[in-house]
Amino acid sequence: MTIASSPVARPWRRRARSRSAINALINLVIAAFALAPILWGLSTSLKPTQDILVYPPQIVPERPTLEHYAMLFQTGIQTPIINSVIVSVGAVLLSLGIGAIAAYAIARLPFRGKTVLIFFIVALMSIPLPSLIVPTFTFLANVHLSNSLTGLILLYSAYQIPFVVWILYSYFLSLPIELENAALIDGYSRFQTLRKVVLPLSGPGLVASGLFVVTFAWNDFVVAVAMISSGESKTLPVAIYGYLGFYGRDWGPLTAAAIISILPVIAVFVFFQRYFLTGMTSGGTKS
Amino acid sequence: MPAGQAVPRGPRTSRFALRPDERRSLGFILPFVLIELALVAGPLALGFYYSFFKVEYFQLTSFRGLDNYWRVITSPMVLGSIGATAIFSIVALGLTLTVGMALAVHLERDSRWNVAVRAVALVPYVISMLVGSLLLRWIFSTDAGFMAVVLGPIGLGDHSVLANPGSAMAALVFNAVWRDSAFAMIVLLAGLKSIPPSLYDAARVDGAGAFYRFRRITLPLMRLSILIAVVRLLIHFVNVLTFSLILTGGGPNGATRTTGLALYELGFVEFKLGDANALAILVFLFNLILVAFNLLLFRERRRAP
Repeated sequence: MTIASSPVARPWRRRARSRSAINALINLVIAAFALAPILWGLSTSLKPTQDILVYPPQIVPERPTLEHYAMLFQTGIQTPIINSVIVSVGAVLLSLGIGAIAAYAIARLPFRGKTVLIFFIVALMSIPLPSLIVPTFTFLANVHLSNSLTGLILLYSAYQIPFVVWILYSYFLSLPIELENAALIDGYSRFQTLRKVVLPLSGPGLVASGLFVVTFAWNDFVVAVAMISSGESKTLPVAIYGYLGFYGRDWGPLTAAAIISILPVIAVFVFFQRYFLTGMTSGGTKS
Repeated sequence: MPAGQAVPRGPRTSRFALRPDERRSLGFILPFVLIELALVAGPLALGFYYSFFKVEYFQLTSFRGLDNYWRVITSPMVLGSIGATAIFSIVALGLTLTVGMALAVHLERDSRWNVAVRAVALVPYVISMLVGSLLLRWIFSTDAGFMAVVLGPIGLGDHSVLANPGSAMAALVFNAVWRDSAFAMIVLLAGLKSIPPSLYDAARVDGAGAFYRFRRITLPLMRLSILIAVVRLLIHFVNVLTFSLILTGGGPNGATRTTGLALYELGFVEFKLGDANALAILVFLFNLILVAFNLLLFRERRRAP
């Protein structure tokens, strides 16, 4: 329609402009609603302790300081951060390894029962984790894997491989099959074809599923708090939960720890936004 | 079968015997199947076994049959938690869906601004649930002075949100809406975008207003996406643990103790592993119903063109 751009249709244009002003206002409200708790936490984490409880509250810290962050690092928040990094990296490597091979088989290799397997994958993706933690703790304690990062890596992989398989399965299906056929004719085995032909072409699929696993492992609290109790294997969310009991109403260090936990996630999310959506629309629930 | 000799289609001895090409395929999926059996099915089986025993410090002391189940479903704590979970799930579902739908409709076009606002709306969903609830707990606490500023004008400046059963439940629902509306938006956007624009044009030519178009075109054609969002949100809300553990701690007086939290307390605060596993199995069985719905919807979506 070209009416809006013709000079005769002035009222149209004015209406369009006021409409876009309203849209901008709504967008602002959405952003404020989503970000206010985070920005308020950031502001609190930058205030000296005596300014945190003043009324009326300062929206922007008047005397910004990093003392709470410094205090956290002096009291050893490095250990849980490193634990969270180890768990995240371990879970990504294990789930991408096992997941890629399984996804390739489902996408390209013949076997009976494939439909059943696909339904199992969707079912696995939708099992909510809080309902699993008691039996899982019972099990891990029996095989002496509770309270260990290895146990956590194995659990995270088990919970995330269905998502990895699902994302990579649809990605592999979208690749041209001719290249694989050529590789097979040249004498590559199926496994070599996957490793040397398919995976190098699957960057976006691997990034999407890898990010999904990393954010899950980095963010997870429910599984970790049930499996981990000792200080030296605590992951960052479990450590923050511990701070909640320890610092109580001392919100400076608490909000600082919260910001430390979410900054990397927000940074990754900003850079790789579209990959996140691939994982989210894949049919499961994450909690 | 002699090696190297190709047997095109010999008489099959068993329906379940593997063809050679299948054997290799199964090798590819075996690690995946094994890890799921070991770490999802295994624990459930063991938990099921434990649920019939009296357990003291991991020792199965005596067989109790269904006693654990009976005690769990008649305990006031669990019954109260089921009521709290039902209220929370229904209200949170309704509000999250409504806000999600409003967001989806408002941000439907893929303009640069809309894509950016969608990303901002998703931030509460991508950060850790623990941190989200922690930050909300700080906002709702009386110490922050934040709620006093917000509620002051309506004469509730002294009201402690988390110390009152009704407003604590409202805060819990707020946590859900804050975090999960954008998730609902993403699911609903997929459905919204699959509606051909020509339908709207035709309706507009026929003189249909915006509300009428929404009710008669948008809603019916989005049936599947809406159902998917409902089921996926319900699975998440019915099992919620982090919101109630961190934001309200289940209080005041158990008013916001969801079943997920009751399960957590039975297992990891009171260390009653027999009772906790019995409740876990019951919750899991209920979840299976929701998962079955999810599978039905998945099948329907696959069949759709």
